[in-house]
Amino acid sequence: MRFFKKSRNGVTGNHQNGTTRNNEQELYIAQQNAQPYVLSFNLEENIETLQSVYENCVDVVFRSFQVAGTTNAVLVYIDGLVNVEELDLVVLPSLMRPLSSITDFDIHQLLSQTLTVSKVSKTQLMSECIESISSGKAVLLINRYNHAFSLGVGKWEKRSIDEPVGEAGIKGPREGFIESLGTNLALVRRKVKSPNLKTKAIKIGTYTQTEVVVCYIEGLAHPALIQEVEERLHRIKIDGILDVGYIEELIEDNPYSPFPQMLNTERPDVVAASLLEGRFAILQDGTPFALVAPISFYSLLQSHEDYYERSLISTVIRWVRYLFLLISLFLPSLYVALLTFHQEMVPTTLLLTMAASRELIPFPALVEALMMEVVFEALREAGVRLPKQAGAAVSIVGALVIGQAAVQAGIVSAPMIMVVSLTGIASFTVPRYATGIAIRMLRFPMILLAGSLGLLGVMLGLLLILIHMATLRSFGVPYLSPMAPMQGQDMKDVLVRAPLWKLNTRPQLPGIDNLTRQGSDQKPSPENKDQ
Amino acid sequence: MIEKGKISAMQMALMMYPAIIATAILLVPAITAHHAGQDMWLSPIWASFSGFLAVYITLRLHHYYPQKTAIEYSEQIAGKFFGKIIGFVFLFFYLHADGIVVREYGEFIVGNFLMRTPPIFVMGTMVFICALAVRGGVEVIGRLAEMIVPVVTLVILIFVILLIPDMDATNMLPIMEKGIIPSIKGAVTPQSWFSEFFLMAFFLPYLANGENGKKWGIISVLAVFLTLFIINITVLFVLGGITANFVYPVMSAVRYISIADFLEHLEAFVMAVWVGGTFLKITVFYYVVALGTAQWLNLPDYRMLVFPLGFLLLVFSEWIAPSLMELSHLLATTVPFYLSSIQIVLPLILLLIAKFRNRNRMKDGQK
Repeated sequence: MRFFKKSRNGVTGNHQNGTTRNNEQELYIAQQNAQPYVLSFNLEENIETLQSVYENCVDVVFRSFQVAGTTNAVLVYIDGLVNVEELDLVVLPSLMRPLSSITDFDIHQLLSQTLTVSKVSKTQLMSECIESISSGKAVLLINRYNHAFSLGVGKWEKRSIDEPVGEAGIKGPREGFIESLGTNLALVRRKVKSPNLKTKAIKIGTYTQTEVVVCYIEGLAHPALIQEVEERLHRIKIDGILDVGYIEELIEDNPYSPFPQMLNTERPDVVAASLLEGRFAILQDGTPFALVAPISFYSLLQSHEDYYERSLISTVIRWVRYLFLLISLFLPSLYVALLTFHQEMVPTTLLLTMAASRELIPFPALVEALMMEVVFEALREAGVRLPKQAGAAVSIVGALVIGQAAVQAGIVSAPMIMVVSLTGIASFTVPRYATGIAIRMLRFPMILLAGSLGLLGVMLGLLLILIHMATLRSFGVPYLSPMAPMQGQDMKDVLVRAPLWKLNTRPQLPGIDNLTRQGSDQKPSPENKDQ
Repeated sequence: MIEKGKISAMQMALMMYPAIIATAILLVPAITAHHAGQDMWLSPIWASFSGFLAVYITLRLHHYYPQKTAIEYSEQIAGKFFGKIIGFVFLFFYLHADGIVVREYGEFIVGNFLMRTPPIFVMGTMVFICALAVRGGVEVIGRLAEMIVPVVTLVILIFVILLIPDMDATNMLPIMEKGIIPSIKGAVTPQSWFSEFFLMAFFLPYLANGENGKKWGIISVLAVFLTLFIINITVLFVLGGITANFVYPVMSAVRYISIADFLEHLEAFVMAVWVGGTFLKITVFYYVVALGTAQWLNLPDYRMLVFPLGFLLLVFSEWIAPSLMELSHLLATTVPFYLSSIQIVLPLILLLIAKFRNRNRMKDGQK
């Protein structure tokens, strides 16, 4: 048990809480602290070590057999992570077949002639063997030989590529990321075929050992940006990550902001488009979401479909989105401010209607608005997580609570219901769910300010939000750019969605030199066709 | 350097614009109308000379001391001891001037909209919000200006357009009935607002594209001039001879707007937008005071000074005048000379000394 003696030496220096740990925990600490444990020539010793590491692990399989009928060997793998069929039908038979010549058993010959697996790597370290086994490879250990072969026969259950649920669309590609990193990388690679698409892998999580990949296009993304991201990723020290949300929270610029500073997407086309603009993407094994940064607030208001639809229509739709963004933030607070402080601004007939509907309402407008907005948020939250069978019940009850019954009972006024529902719908026009939710949450302090200071309060709240957004940065990019600081060139993709043949330059991210996206003068016209 | 951020020349121009306009459209038109009568639209023309002069002085001083703000170069120009005194005068002046702005804001809000709210609360919330912006640094203020100023300008324009049906151009007749003197008299107060362009002295060292500073400085003066001109002429056309009797003529003119019995009583909306401009004005002055104080005391950072100075600012705003009438009287009589003596005369003296010193230095160099 040389292995554990070494590991214990390494451990005692750092941890002195006398609690008993399980083997794996010691193993990982050992991997980091102790000197690398090298495989021995004795097969039995190696197997004994592995067996003690994987003590109490029923899913680890040790299969002993004889290579070419002469040499003892053991195949170690985790049941369910490897393709057992391939092992049974291809790997084991080819290894067990007696050699034609009765010359000495040669390990190199074994590699080149007998082993019919394409992904094979050789290692001398026990830690690498364990890593290979854990990540779904079968490890072959042979007697009188101090190297192990890890065979890439991994195969586990995964979802098929599906339409992205959170980012559906009418036009555009319909494939979305899935939980397998390899598939996701392939999806991106299929869109960007240039060898300049670089993918750098980092393992994060002491226990989960999750593979995280940074994708970027060399020559478009600034090297300092990639270096910064890698540094921030390396700084993460955590026991495990289960979604890119973990990474986002651990590397973002301002953790106390309600606004997302990275784009969360499950669409390969969005990732590819961002890479082409000189941004980078972070993909993680085990989640269908990718992170894209650096971004500005306006990228969160753009949808992939803007670029697949005609430019005029996209421009109008963008402006509708901007308008409803303002509505979702301001409408309830403006309504409260008008009713509480500035009744004179409401046209007389409308004021009479509103006054009539509010005649029997026992609450002031502020309380009414807060109450209904909270109920709306509760309904939305209930609707997200409910099983489908119960969903119908929630929508029926919800329609009654914020609806006719509430008005008839004289608890809330009908205009308030309209305001709340309009605000709710408006917040869902924001293409990114995380942005919409940030805006919806900011609505509550706005309502309070409006109820206490009127329009002045609304303005002060807006100023606070603006100050915060002006201070924010996403990997060095000002959050409000290209509006503030003004970058005239980039307005073509913010105020309008200029036709594709006009989008000749990339957004000006800091440090990016290669701004030219395409050739100019590509406006299609009948004359050009003749040439 | 204490401030590490960089702004563009355009951002500076956008910061200067509300720093003049925000309060210049509040009490000033009434003061101008009091002196100039129907010639009040001419006054901004004379007043803008003061703005061009201030920009010229600032740019010349910046030319001699390109990396330094007014606090830093006054020490180099006037020597350590007198330089510190001049620096203190600037800082005290800007704190005081900012106090006036905060007070004007408080009086306006409490007098028109939140009658029963204590003024100290109204002013305190504003100073707090400004403090947050000042802590963000010059870049953040520049970005805020880029977001807010276009909206403010657009709203001013829309209201001028909406007022067209109520305008009566004959209100401006007879032009220069009593000669040019009344309109010049009316320009005395607005010219002191224009002298506030000396604030550029605190932003020029932080320009990323310094060579455009001159161009955008002049554009900013022109924009302020044009806005004041349009505002004065609108107020005159709408209200006529009685303009001088209003405390806030612009607000009173806005009350005239009535389109299709639907768009009416928009004062509150105008107030909300105007608050955005005032916020920028207070922030710019506040930032200058905070940065200048840190430079004056040779501190490594100005951020820890922001909240204490904000408290001082609030106290100043209370001290300035006992009532709105006193404040208005102050603005019509003492303040014009106070503002321009610190922001035009003092820098002019500095410039002359600097010129003299630099000539000597050049002569020494030639020898």
